[in-house]
Amino acid sequence: MENLKTLYTAIVEGDAKTAKAVAESAIAAGVPPQQLLNEIMIPAMDEVGRLFEANEYFVPELLISARAMKWALEVIKPHLIAGGAQPAGRVAIGTVKGDLHDIGKNLVAAMLEGGGFEIIDLGVDVGADQFLEAYRTKQVDIVALSALLTTTMPSMKQIIDEFKAAGVRDKVKIIVGGAPVTAEYAGEIGADGYSENASSAVTLARSLVGAG
Amino acid sequence: MNARERFHAMMHYLPRDRAPIMDFGFWAETLVIWQDQGYPAGADPDLFFGMDPQWAECGGIVGLWPEFPEIVIKDRGATEVVQQKDGAIVERGKFLGSIPRHLAHTLQDRATWAESYAPRLRAQDPLRFPGKATWAMLLEEWTRPDRDYPLFIRAGSLYGVARNWFGLERISEIIYDDRPLFEEIVATLADVSIAVLEKTLGDGVRPEAALMWEDMCYSGGPLLSPKLFRDILVPHYKRITATLRRYGVDIVIVDCDGKIDALVPLWLEAGVNTMFPIEVGKWGGDPVAFRARYGKELRLIGGVDKHILAAGRDAIDREIDRLAPLVEEGGYIPTPDHRVPPDVPLANYLYYLERAKSVWGRGLPNLLPTGRIEAALVAV
Repeated sequence: MENLKTLYTAIVEGDAKTAKAVAESAIAAGVPPQQLLNEIMIPAMDEVGRLFEANEYFVPELLISARAMKWALEVIKPHLIAGGAQPAGRVAIGTVKGDLHDIGKNLVAAMLEGGGFEIIDLGVDVGADQFLEAYRTKQVDIVALSALLTTTMPSMKQIIDEFKAAGVRDKVKIIVGGAPVTAEYAGEIGADGYSENASSAVTLARSLVGAG
Repeated sequence: MNARERFHAMMHYLPRDRAPIMDFGFWAETLVIWQDQGYPAGADPDLFFGMDPQWAECGGIVGLWPEFPEIVIKDRGATEVVQQKDGAIVERGKFLGSIPRHLAHTLQDRATWAESYAPRLRAQDPLRFPGKATWAMLLEEWTRPDRDYPLFIRAGSLYGVARNWFGLERISEIIYDDRPLFEEIVATLADVSIAVLEKTLGDGVRPEAALMWEDMCYSGGPLLSPKLFRDILVPHYKRITATLRRYGVDIVIVDCDGKIDALVPLWLEAGVNTMFPIEVGKWGGDPVAFRARYGKELRLIGGVDKHILAAGRDAIDREIDRLAPLVEEGGYIPTPDHRVPPDVPLANYLYYLERAKSVWGRGLPNLLPTGRIEAALVAV
């Protein structure tokens, strides 16, 4: 168990090499991957999120912790799949049509993955048809829309409207975020939620899939 | 009072005839859309809108020299993949003004730094300046006693350019994986800036301000923790600002962007005393609040909520009246925060300028008229 504390610390401190090495030795020692994920790794990323919210961590610290989480996840993922483990939820994420920016979207994706979600990253300049396709083929629970520009924010409403027109709006949760996006705007366009930053996106996603 | 004298007086809280009437430009789409609303195609916006003369920049090259060749790698219709002059591979819109998306970076680690960047950052490279004759001509213009526009000397960047060379994710990793490399890059950038400043200022140029570029804050705050900023960047900012002050340049502007609250006291500590542009954003950046908190040592540029320009005349009136006392106090040049977006009707912008000229500009006859189609077309 002492070793597992090292994994927790390695993720919180962004030490990817140690996180990977400890995950490998834990798996080799027979520690159930689900236990590693749920009792060590996700709580570690939750702590990273808490530190970010408290202004003790900033973007670099978030990124290196997310990298450590990713390296450890790569070790345990095949074992999770083999054991039939299910993610906290599936999220299709993308930057909306007309917008090429991806830094914020990538940060949110990294934090959601660290929070136990499976991420389907649709990239940038993503239209409603691609989000609908992801919903239909990947059984996603949440669609996450990102925009950096005031001029591309209206695409968020168009995507929500397309989900309505397709008759599937009530089958999936849609969350929005990005520099110009506000909670008020999210409400106006009929989104299910708005996140101020990458860390709070995890809390929001959990609440929407009932995993909070 | 000319624009040069007015800028100096404004930034030093000295008596002045009125505030400078300036803007921070427009999104590329804005001027195109405005053509349907009466803006003359191809016109010079400063002439059309009757702005005071913008500042001019002086000095040598404080960045990479030589730059990388700009190469279009792939044409994707509305966008193109390009190797930029800074070595980053980006996808950028061909027609719309926006921040390009970074796809790959030449700078990755210590080896690529040594191979491709350090040789382009030799502080004493004479090619950072033009040939003798051209330099003499420039010096003559910059030192002309009757120069009537503000002159800013380029003072470089300690984080922003390195972030662009690496990309945000990689530079964030480098700071932790190889901190000595990051420190070496910051020190090198400062060395280059100081060498170029010494030569330009030593040749007698006395600009009204120095201009640095960082773009290092976003809607959530700084891209670097205040602790790392203080430990790694502040000592080198101090070297640069000390050089400037030896030559009497006491206004040091940083192009900062975003939610800057956590970095303002550290920039002030480092001798960087003018934040530009104050972005209002959803975090409510407010020049009045900044002044109340930091006092007159902090100068400000920007801070006019661009969304208010779209909201209508009453909202514009309220914003102009709200900022008027700060304009009157000085140390503050109001401009729409970070370029006028295309959802602002031209009529609203013209109204904003009329009101700005009337209130902040005191309606003086030395203001240029707004909407001068004839003057603008002369420049076409």
